[in-house]
Amino acid sequence: MRTGVLERDADFLALLQRQAALRPERPALRFAEGCLTYRQLLDRVGLEAEHWLQSGKRCLALLCDGSPDCVFTIFGAAAAGLQLVLLDGNLPEEEIRRLLRAADADALWGQDSLEEDMTPALGGGVPQAPGSLLFFTSGTTGSARAVVLTQAGLCASAWNGSALLPLFPRDTLLCLLPLNHVFGFVCGLLWGLRCGACVALGRGPRYYGEDLKRFRPTAVSVVPTLLGFLLKRQALNEELKLVLIGAGDCPPALPAALKGLGIRVSFGYGLTETSSGVALSLGEDPYAMTVCPEDRVRLGEDGEILIESETCMMRGYYRDPAATAEVLQNGVLHTGDLGRFDEKGLLRITGRKKEILVFPDGTKLYLPEYEAKLRTRLPEREFAVLELEGSPVLYLRGKEEERGAVTAALEPLMRELPLARRLKALYLDPAPLPRTATGKIQRWIIKQKVVSQYDKN
Amino acid sequence: MTRTEIYDKVLEIVHDCVPETEEQELKESTVINTDTAIDSMGFTLIICRLEAVFGIKIPDRQWQKLYTVGDVVTAIEKRLK
Repeated sequence: MRTGVLERDADFLALLQRQAALRPERPALRFAEGCLTYRQLLDRVGLEAEHWLQSGKRCLALLCDGSPDCVFTIFGAAAAGLQLVLLDGNLPEEEIRRLLRAADADALWGQDSLEEDMTPALGGGVPQAPGSLLFFTSGTTGSARAVVLTQAGLCASAWNGSALLPLFPRDTLLCLLPLNHVFGFVCGLLWGLRCGACVALGRGPRYYGEDLKRFRPTAVSVVPTLLGFLLKRQALNEELKLVLIGAGDCPPALPAALKGLGIRVSFGYGLTETSSGVALSLGEDPYAMTVCPEDRVRLGEDGEILIESETCMMRGYYRDPAATAEVLQNGVLHTGDLGRFDEKGLLRITGRKKEILVFPDGTKLYLPEYEAKLRTRLPEREFAVLELEGSPVLYLRGKEEERGAVTAALEPLMRELPLARRLKALYLDPAPLPRTATGKIQRWIIKQKVVSQYDKN
Repeated sequence: MTRTEIYDKVLEIVHDCVPETEEQELKESTVINTDTAIDSMGFTLIICRLEAVFGIKIPDRQWQKLYTVGDVVTAIEKRLK
């Protein structure tokens, strides 16, 4: 058996077997009730695999709760060759039922947490992707789709992380993020196991504020919203030396605060469709990222980030060849994200293609850049710029009585802009902006809200 | 504990966890995620504090069903019985 650090793993079982051979007595998983070594973890997964092999089931859906049993079941059922569907255990039951049918699931793990029996939703179809995992994208621009990822692709993505940001067997990676998100699965779990580190399984959202001081990790993967919460609560532990931030736009104040505490910050860019990370920042600037070795990135004529990867790329959207063909053409993923390579050849994300306004004179406005300008006048405010009838409009979290002050704050900036680029309207709403589970602003929901509610008034 | 006492305690905890809500009038009918300054992390914090103070446990997936302040009061009231 080859055991070199450059070896890629064909599947989860191969990864665990390799680590169990290399370091059988090192801790692999820590959790509230105890700890398992790599050898014990492999044994436990073997038992699960045997169970699922004998079950006759072909597609197992899991309501992921991040527990050790959830992890054993994922690895065991994957080793048995089942198609796996990782779902958010907190989804409404009607939605769970719909997704079970859409994914052709014939078994469900986590049924006990539900009030309704899901049996009638199981076993209706023939699974199309045995041995693969289905992740539902969080959907910042539209409704969620099931992305088919292979075990080899997910392992390669974890290898990407270990190649650029190696952890060591003495490290502890805290897994706080839900496993039904590919960033949480790869960067919260597989990355640590790939490196032979110990993965501590967080106890869920109610313990976010306590788990770092309980498990004392040296590394943790977070989304910006969670990081903001941890910083605000002063929940970081002294041993923490690396924070990997991903899956959402990150205000500069957050990495700056970590650096102030002497903690290394790395920012990751990736998509569910690429099995998580495509580029990671390694230097002082968290927004300048090195492309991962298993991925090739180039820019389209309009600056769109185009990705190729033999190993990490999705097999497609489940049972949706038309949607797959829209974004994956000749092995090239059209991300819809915009970027540029800086003078050092590092990738910088500049926005989303769908967030471009094209004016009648052919000039374009990149909404995230526009928002950055507005932020100089509205620091600390939560807002998003939208396109409405060809004009930029501002949707800001605030009260109606603040309208005058906000307008006055923006006036100097608006005066500098051509008429077509000035904000045409200001919508104030005291509620937080709608975001995905990973913290991305959902502009499409805001736009629906603006169109349906405000225009009626 | 009466419903009114629970409601008063809930308000106290909400204001303590998310000070931005102190200027907001929180009625039982107030919708948590659209009418208040409470975001998802703030809500997590509130639920954890409520569980500790009242000595109850609200299952994670029940959180999603708590739509108004009144729903939170009802959930606590139900578990105290």
